Amino acid sequence: MIPPIFGRALVYASLLSMLSTGLTLTYMTTKVPNFAHANFATLGIYLTLVLSKVLHVNPYLGVGPAFLVGGVAALILYLLVLKPLLDRGANYIILMIATVAYDMILYSVINIIADSINRLYKISTKLFILQSFDFRIWGQPGLFLVAPAAAVLTVSALYLVLNKTKFGIAMRAAIENPSLASVVGINVNLTYAVSWFISGGLAGVAGALMPLRIMCNPDVGMRLIVSIFAASILGGLSSIYGAFIGGLLIGFAEILGTGYLSLAVGTWVVPYRPIIPLLMMAITLLFAPKGLTGIKWRIFRR
Amino acid sequence: MVLPVEMTFLIDLLAFFGIYAIIALSLNLEFGYAGIPNFGKLLAVLGGAMFVGAIPGRVLAYLYGVMDNLDFIQYNPDIMGNVNKILSADIFSSAVILVASLILAALTGALLGVIASYPAIRLKEDYLAITLLAMAEILRTIGDNYSPLVGGTMGVDVVNPFKWVGGEYWILAATICILLTTALVFIYVESIGKSPLGRTLRAIRDDEAAAETYGKDVTKFRMKVLMVGSALAAVGGALASFYSGHMVSSAFDRVLYTFWPWVMVVIGGAANNLGVMLGVFVFVFLRKIIIFYKDVFNPYIPFDVNWLVYLLLGLALIIVLIYKPEGIIPEKPDKTLEQDRLKEIMKRIEAAPEE
Repeated sequence: MIPPIFGRALVYASLLSMLSTGLTLTYMTTKVPNFAHANFATLGIYLTLVLSKVLHVNPYLGVGPAFLVGGVAALILYLLVLKPLLDRGANYIILMIATVAYDMILYSVINIIADSINRLYKISTKLFILQSFDFRIWGQPGLFLVAPAAAVLTVSALYLVLNKTKFGIAMRAAIENPSLASVVGINVNLTYAVSWFISGGLAGVAGALMPLRIMCNPDVGMRLIVSIFAASILGGLSSIYGAFIGGLLIGFAEILGTGYLSLAVGTWVVPYRPIIPLLMMAITLLFAPKGLTGIKWRIFRR
Repeated sequence: MVLPVEMTFLIDLLAFFGIYAIIALSLNLEFGYAGIPNFGKLLAVLGGAMFVGAIPGRVLAYLYGVMDNLDFIQYNPDIMGNVNKILSADIFSSAVILVASLILAALTGALLGVIASYPAIRLKEDYLAITLLAMAEILRTIGDNYSPLVGGTMGVDVVNPFKWVGGEYWILAATICILLTTALVFIYVESIGKSPLGRTLRAIRDDEAAAETYGKDVTKFRMKVLMVGSALAAVGGALASFYSGHMVSSAFDRVLYTFWPWVMVVIGGAANNLGVMLGVFVFVFLRKIIIFYKDVFNPYIPFDVNWLVYLLLGLALIIVLIYKPEGIIPEKPDKTLEQDRLKEIMKRIEAAPEE
């Protein structure tokens, strides 16, 4: 049997790796850390809540719409906020402030949705968990299978798209050298917009699956963003595979770390969970600022 | 002695204007002049507020001997009640504890600024922004959960160094004190901006490589600015703590003490202290109006009207960034020396004997 804590860690780590992969994808294209990324996921969370509690359908049906909702939210950020700023020659600090402002808008929208659902349908929209809506497979919650599968599917699909399709190769060219790519006829703007759509969509899916195993609240994004950045920085912010590994590492470290520490020293350590990703991030920045993918692994091999 | 209602409205407006002005001016020093995107402004503000909640009360309770081996957090209202009663009869001690608290809170803020920025100070600004944001969240987590510090979610009562004024008028004295501090901070940041240091910071902001070529240690200057900025913001937090009389860390969140100051600085006009002050005034006034009329709107909409305001603020910030990135009052070009003075110096250089 899988111990429940391991299952929870597997789910969290998988979802986190989807989030950090998406964040890194947009960082690679637009070169701006997106502070609104976690709240794309929160939109997915509330979509799942509406599906399961208001419309009474299987929450897994929300995965597709959540991809769309997250993707569109990200596309709006790119096309209506970042693109106009880039066209006016704004530097990346201004872009960063714009993503913070957009995060504020999303956070307000999420709270407005949460309060309205609460008022109109009389269901709890704060500190909720939808475990009972999950199906069971081999006596285990279905999410134990679905979350890792979704994460693996994400990274392998991205690998295939980026390496085997013409569009993906164009995208990589646009990432490597935008001006040269546009000279050879690649529509750089389109590839960037697609990367934002994919990034937001993945976040939306991760969010849609989250309430099936993890306690959710309108401000879940505020804490999640720290873990997402930690995972992306651990992965080096320059490779989606690095971000995937970073997400898994941070996710497992957070859940298993607090789990086993609370067994060893007492449950008072549980609320201090965010310190784990922060410490891992600080150590990465101090000793290997380019992340796992930046370390020259060859020197360890004799 | 009871204050009239109009007066409390005005006092509250001025007090929050002062507190936010200090925080926004410190952010302007970091972002406007030095180009550091400090998304962890909350960190220093909370640090200063926590210092005022945790230390002066304990020190006075110990000195006055009202602790009686009681737990400071558990019996906090009783202990602080006694401390404030004794303190209200002692104007000199009140003044000393106020000034000492503000200075030590500033030091706490400076220390937090250094620790928080240390892992990323040598890296690109986006890493620094992420690290500062994360560190602020951590301090909040600690404040909320580690109750021996400032009482966790219950909070602690704060020393009241204005109680000797008598009645409700202490709040007027506190507001005057806040506004005086704001004036000092304004003069200080304005003089930094006009000094060679200010010009160096702007040079680093506009072209890091060029500044480095001229022998400026960019990392050292960034660290210095974050220290000063965090110290000032901590003073703002400390004053907020004194003003409210009760310190609870959940009252300090990213929206109120990071996002609002950013809106004020960017919309007011980065690298222009007067513009920032204007931005602060506009948004503090707006906030006060909203709180005042909140109950009028609330029955008609199924959510808290604050969220609508935050949404519009986010929208306003984006629109300003796109269409008027220099803010309401743009940055002024640096004043060089007057023509006559320059000629005089040229003459003196030419007249000097060659070596």
